[in-house]
Amino acid sequence: MTAVLQGIQLSKSFVGIPALKAVDFELHPHEVVGLVGENGAGKSTLMRLVAGVQLPSSGTLLRDGVPLVLRSPREAADHGIAMVFQEQSLLLNLSVAENLFLGREQEFMRAGLINWRRLHEAARRQLAKVELDIDPATRTAELSFAARQMLELAKALSLEDRVAGELVILLDEPTSVLERHEVALLFARVRALKQRASFIFVSHRLDEVLALSDRIYVMKDGAVVAEMPTAEASLPKLHRLMVGREQHTEFYRESDQEAHGDAVVLQARGLTAEGHYRDVDFDLRRGEVLGIAGVIGSGREELVRTLFGFLAHTAGTLKVDGAEVRFAIPADAVAHGIGYIPRERRVEGLVLLLSLASNMTLANLGVVMRHGWIRRARERLLAADWMRKLSIRASGIDALCVSLSGGNQQKVVLAKWLTAGSRILILDHPTRGLDVGAKEEVYRLVRDLCRQGTSVVLTADSLEETIGLSHTVLVMRDGRVTARFEAGRGAKPAQVDLIEHMV
Amino acid sequence: MMNLSDPVARARLRTAAPSLLLVALVILIAAVTPGFGTPQTLLEVLADTATLYLLAAGQTFVTLIGGVDLSLQAVASLSSVVLAMLVARFGYGAFVAAVLVGTVFGLCSGFVHVRLRVPSFVATLATGGVMSGTALLLSDAHSIPIGENGREYLTVVTGNLLGVPHVIWLGAVVLLVGMVVQRYSAFGRYSMAIGAGEPAAWASGVRVERQKIICFVLAGTLAGLAGVVLAARMASGSPMLANELLLPSIAAVVVGGTAVTGGVGGIGRTMIGALIISVVRIGMIFVGVNIFAQQILFGTVLIFAVGITIDRSKILIVK
Amino acid sequence: MASSSSAAVAAPRPASGRGVPSGNARLRRRLRSAAPLLVLIGLCLLIGLANPYFFHVSNLVRIANSSAIPAVLMCGETFVILLGSIDLSIEGVVAVGATVVSLLVRNDVTSLDLGLWALLLAVFAGLAIGALSGVLHVGLRIPSFMVTLGIWFASAGLANFVLGGGTVRILDPSVRLLALARLGGLPLMVWIALAVVAVAWVIQHYTRLGRYVYAIGGGEDVAALSGIPIRRVKVIIFALGGAFYALGGALAASQLGQGNAVMGIGRLFPTITAVVVGGTSLVGGEGSVPQSLIGVVIVAVLNNGMVLLGFSPYVQQAVQGLLIIAAVAISVDRSRMIVR
Repeated sequence: MTAVLQGIQLSKSFVGIPALKAVDFELHPHEVVGLVGENGAGKSTLMRLVAGVQLPSSGTLLRDGVPLVLRSPREAADHGIAMVFQEQSLLLNLSVAENLFLGREQEFMRAGLINWRRLHEAARRQLAKVELDIDPATRTAELSFAARQMLELAKALSLEDRVAGELVILLDEPTSVLERHEVALLFARVRALKQRASFIFVSHRLDEVLALSDRIYVMKDGAVVAEMPTAEASLPKLHRLMVGREQHTEFYRESDQEAHGDAVVLQARGLTAEGHYRDVDFDLRRGEVLGIAGVIGSGREELVRTLFGFLAHTAGTLKVDGAEVRFAIPADAVAHGIGYIPRERRVEGLVLLLSLASNMTLANLGVVMRHGWIRRARERLLAADWMRKLSIRASGIDALCVSLSGGNQQKVVLAKWLTAGSRILILDHPTRGLDVGAKEEVYRLVRDLCRQGTSVVLTADSLEETIGLSHTVLVMRDGRVTARFEAGRGAKPAQVDLIEHMV
Repeated sequence: MMNLSDPVARARLRTAAPSLLLVALVILIAAVTPGFGTPQTLLEVLADTATLYLLAAGQTFVTLIGGVDLSLQAVASLSSVVLAMLVARFGYGAFVAAVLVGTVFGLCSGFVHVRLRVPSFVATLATGGVMSGTALLLSDAHSIPIGENGREYLTVVTGNLLGVPHVIWLGAVVLLVGMVVQRYSAFGRYSMAIGAGEPAAWASGVRVERQKIICFVLAGTLAGLAGVVLAARMASGSPMLANELLLPSIAAVVVGGTAVTGGVGGIGRTMIGALIISVVRIGMIFVGVNIFAQQILFGTVLIFAVGITIDRSKILIVK
Repeated sequence: MASSSSAAVAAPRPASGRGVPSGNARLRRRLRSAAPLLVLIGLCLLIGLANPYFFHVSNLVRIANSSAIPAVLMCGETFVILLGSIDLSIEGVVAVGATVVSLLVRNDVTSLDLGLWALLLAVFAGLAIGALSGVLHVGLRIPSFMVTLGIWFASAGLANFVLGGGTVRILDPSVRLLALARLGGLPLMVWIALAVVAVAWVIQHYTRLGRYVYAIGGGEDVAALSGIPIRRVKVIIFALGGAFYALGGALAASQLGQGNAVMGIGRLFPTITAVVVGGTSLVGGEGSVPQSLIGVVIVAVLNNGMVLLGFSPYVQQAVQGLLIIAAVAISVDRSRMIVR
């Protein structure tokens, strides 16, 4: 049978870094295809291409055998392809009916005025398809997450009145905001709707993917590594495929990983932030790298934000060097000797339009001040010093940070915290967007820092990096710590072991 | 890799353009009306600029962190009223009181904006209204002349030193102090950082909220000073005194090259901007341009100056 | 199928800042939207208790009369604020509207005598100025407060320029009738204002334009993805605003019997107060014309009450300022947004 949707050699690169490599896939009528893979495997990128949010760098997309070029989600909708986001396409201040027909109001106009009665009737018809029994005039903000999800689904389905042929509906992590019974409801609807549409189901919850899909694609590092009917799939098999070969240990300078000290510098007991994570315990020792693994929605991002004062914890205790603390703003964390190298380094790490020197002293201006005034000469010396020590390649200390490469920008951020004398560093996706050489430098620096007694909390893009760099790894899922692994030199856990507790 | 030349080159152009414009304007007007080029006139221009500059300097501090203060003219007016009312009885103490009024109201504006999370233009529109109302109440909507026994104190503003009016010296002092503060103080550094990249400043441990409030306090204080100067020169205080200076002061900041998105520009640039505005104003009188046409001109110039200096990469959705 | 090893607990909700709506939240929201009306009633009772003359028919008529022009201005500003923008040009456009009308009807300066057509022309003038604001805002991508600040002074200057700083006396009796004639006990102008508000409400509720304003205010990026013509809507809304303000200016001229360039002074503040106090959020997407109307009445009642209770009229501005601050500070939850 002809595929309803087909991708041939789809590729996508961002600024030279490939996110998707020559992906082939097929979607047949009346089927649910599951798409799984680690963070950064390329699932979202592929979905965005199919949904028309972005254009592929190369390759073809075919609908019922006909090649397509989708320049916008609207064009995708015109071809019967719709994506069900996590409430990202709903306007919460509008009513359910208005959201359903956003941009299509002219179908319900009479003499230049909107006929609300007809609009609401049409809305009720669409809502019936997903068995959502609510008044179409309800404000969308008043709906539960599950109802909003259903509304998104109804919105996608409403395309079938306008478009010939089967619909293709993309479900992007639809269950992360749902309770268990709501998930069951969603699955029942999807199964019932298979008669009129085909689905691509993206999720990090493998048990759900196994429950709902007819076929499964596994992605890794931007490519499809396997495809199989669900009957032939199992959790261990999927785990193995998702993580693949283990990397060479020396990439992470494992031989330089030294044993950490005993003094506990950062301690969490029962740390909870309502709605994000619950009951997190850990001890961070001097010179230790603590890696935290987890997928989006696991709570690890929010945990890390708490450690730097972006998000206050609501229960439990956090202690720095034995003293209990509670950070209301980042300045509090900085005052306690904690530094933060953010994943959005161009937004939160550096003030791009200021010079290297200015950025390096931003977290502790006092270092270059005397009698209340900034000593520019001292600042220049400090900046030149760091440029040398960290091998920062730039036209000079007065160069604006916007002109530096990613790797060098990262080093300036590091220099800032070293100037501030941070003893605890939080590294949030520290090698994102860096080339291999720059990554290696970062790893070397991390080892050097640990040797000097700095402790590190690490959330990395890949499991590999987390395991390679850390002394201890915490695994989180759905807001809780699900496993704890020792990752000492020569005794590293396998990625498969971690994945099991993440998905 | 980043395209090096674009933001850097643009920044350089922004720095040079206003000064070039100023020089061109002076030459042009002096050529058309010879009376304009005399030392007498130039001193007039400078004295006029000084008052405008005080308001614009305060506005600059707020603009650098990405906000706007629509209350500064009300502060100045209120200060002028306070001075006029108190100077006869309290002498130099009245000067201090008048300036402090500005400081206190600047603190209020800052508090409303930062702590109550009200956008700066609404917050200052509101506090400006409160101040206007207060000024009207205190003065019963009349202008308050400064009587004979108060006049003696005014020479501290209206007098001359080495042939140059005190106000010009004052303007110069504010300029110098302002530039030093901007370049060499922690406050100045943090303000630039907040304006140029607030998330990064926040994530570097800068106490952003405190900094922002200080900016408004400074602006209020300088506006209070401006009110004092105005009252002294007019020998009276009035609740509407500075109202017509709001637009020129904002125009001075923008034309001088400080971007309303924050983080670029500064006190020095605003001086050039203030000079340009003054030269245009007085020049237009000399050349014989209708005073109402000036308003149209300033409104237009403001829009286009903002259009040129604004950093659009900072605001994804323009509201 | 291997079972997962996690404990059987419900997944914690991700915090998107929107929160899980519960019956409690719905109740709070209903209360918040009813608040302006409750405030109005409360105010009336308080003032009436202090001075029963408040409820006298002639006083109520006075309140209605003083609400008329602010109500017209409020219509324009409400639409702009619903977009998430702001229009500071009201005072200038009002001046232009007053100037146009006074010069085109029978007056003591020009020899024109266009009668009520002058009002239409005034509205067109406002429409054009508003469209200019919109085009500059959208085309040059300059924040609305800056553009309208410039337009404010430019248009005020224009009105000043045209009038040469002087005043024009209106001699056409039919134009003056708009303000003075009574219908059912209320001045004609009040009925006109009500009609204008009704038209604004119809636009807001029954036209695509009105719904798109809410969409853009609620989420401009999502609205754009759904194919809504953002730029066109914005220009139209600013133009519409200008039309309302100029109409207000024309009515003001007819009320005063003259046209001058200071007709608009002091009108920006009460308009914004009314819109904000009525419950329209400054970030856009929340509020409505009827709600703003309540805000207009609140401001009118407050001013009237202050006079009746013997307060100085200068306190009005100060009180309005405090009102705006209170209304904005209490309104939307803005936990982590950068407020400029």
